[in-house]
Amino acid sequence: MTSSNRREFLTQAAALIAASGLPVPALAQAKPKLVVVGGGPGGATIAKYVARDSNGAVEVTLVEPLRQFITCFHSNLYLGGFRGWESMLHSYDALASKYGVKLVHQAAQAIDRDKKSVRLADGTQLAYDRLVVAPGIDLKFESVPGYSEAAAQIMPHAWKPGPQTQLLKRQLDAVEDGGVIVMVAPPNPYRCPPGPYERVSMMAHVLKAKGHRNSRIIVLDPKDTFSKQGLFQEGWEKHYPGMVEWQDPKMHGGIKPVDASAMTVDTDLANYKPALINVIPAQMAGKIARDAGLANQTGYCPIDPASMKSANDPNIYVVGDACIAGDMPKSAFSANSQAKVAALMLRGELIQAQIFPARYTNTCWSLIETDDTVKVGGRYEPKEGKIAAVETFVSKTGENAELRRQTQAENMGWYAGITADIFS
Amino acid sequence: MSLRVASLAFAGAAVVAASAAHADGDKALGQFLSSECVTCHQIAGRYEGIPTIVGWPKPVFIEIMGEYRAQKRANPIMQTIAVRLTEEEIAALAAYFGSLQPAN
Repeated sequence: MTSSNRREFLTQAAALIAASGLPVPALAQAKPKLVVVGGGPGGATIAKYVARDSNGAVEVTLVEPLRQFITCFHSNLYLGGFRGWESMLHSYDALASKYGVKLVHQAAQAIDRDKKSVRLADGTQLAYDRLVVAPGIDLKFESVPGYSEAAAQIMPHAWKPGPQTQLLKRQLDAVEDGGVIVMVAPPNPYRCPPGPYERVSMMAHVLKAKGHRNSRIIVLDPKDTFSKQGLFQEGWEKHYPGMVEWQDPKMHGGIKPVDASAMTVDTDLANYKPALINVIPAQMAGKIARDAGLANQTGYCPIDPASMKSANDPNIYVVGDACIAGDMPKSAFSANSQAKVAALMLRGELIQAQIFPARYTNTCWSLIETDDTVKVGGRYEPKEGKIAAVETFVSKTGENAELRRQTQAENMGWYAGITADIFS
Repeated sequence: MSLRVASLAFAGAAVVAASAAHADGDKALGQFLSSECVTCHQIAGRYEGIPTIVGWPKPVFIEIMGEYRAQKRANPIMQTIAVRLTEEEIAALAAYFGSLQPAN
């Protein structure tokens, strides 16, 4: 419905209600309140889309402590030297100036579901009619014995963007020829399924570009298989022969406690004293979602696949990495796609906008070496209680160089596109 | 609020708007469908690696989408998206994006 239609309706409704003796001011003040916790690809997209498409009929508040968002997507390209740090920073200003989103740069500390209120770091309570919870992931540091938040200052995870990413970059650039890099890969389900393996590719690219002949990258994986495995392994063999060694549990036999002070990683197979250790632990929904009782025993939040509404609270939507999105991977593309469904359903609930059946898409691109990029993706629909893949595609091994080059151009184009879609 | 009161008011007012409902529905559908496209194809019409799709003549848009549906064009992302769209939906998108102009 257009804003002028809505205004007409409200005027007529006000007249009706005035005639009936009900209090008119109640309607005049009745702008519904949407609070969004988390300004990533899920939360910021919802804030923008609801504010823009409701023409001011919904009061939208985005709660996000950072004044500039740092994208986790493409942070591997930063590690590889394909993207500058500044290019990954995005301001929230346009959300406020162009669409009227109210920005609150504070951490949300707790959700009171009974009172429909969010408590901020300074103690302020933000009341909501509907709430979006999009906190992304938290790391389960203890999932890797010996690892901790303190150990991450020596053995970075770099799985949340920011100082960790920059620390890993400095460590990578400092590795000398003959140095060993060990990555401890995460168990499913985690943010960005091909991410660890694109990261390995970018590390190998940096070492190769520096002329290293004897450096090695060893991946200790708790999984038997991984995303785009054939494509990555083909690429490693082609571009970085002998440099990358991926070990599944049958090969390494189990990862023993890591030791940050000694900088060692041991497995049943071998003891390592690497120049760089990148530990990517298991993951779960952000704390605020878990504390509010929105997560289940998996650590992630179940949702209604037709709307992205929390399975545990009809006034709350959960999108992005924190939710259980069925066959959709945890990616920025997925979060953005889920956000558009949630924004539509929210407008339907709050201002009676017309709604349509949910449909979702995702694509993940991975850079293996300069101009050699692969992709995986699909379309998804609510089906049998989950978001189910309807059709999927993945790049093929042995593709020609021109197609891979085009896929990299597409990858860069997607980054420009999605960041414009979210932040401008 | 009175979401409930507003809903009742809306139900009553819906009669008034009945004639415009079809056109509004198409527009609302086009707007929702287009949100899928603009993750990659910038609504401002800027090219940074992915083709712009704003300001195209409607028949060109429809023809190209038809070619993706028929897998005559190769990109698997576009094939996957096009095959899900009905002819009416493609027409709605063609009208929507055709009405936009690239930003300067």
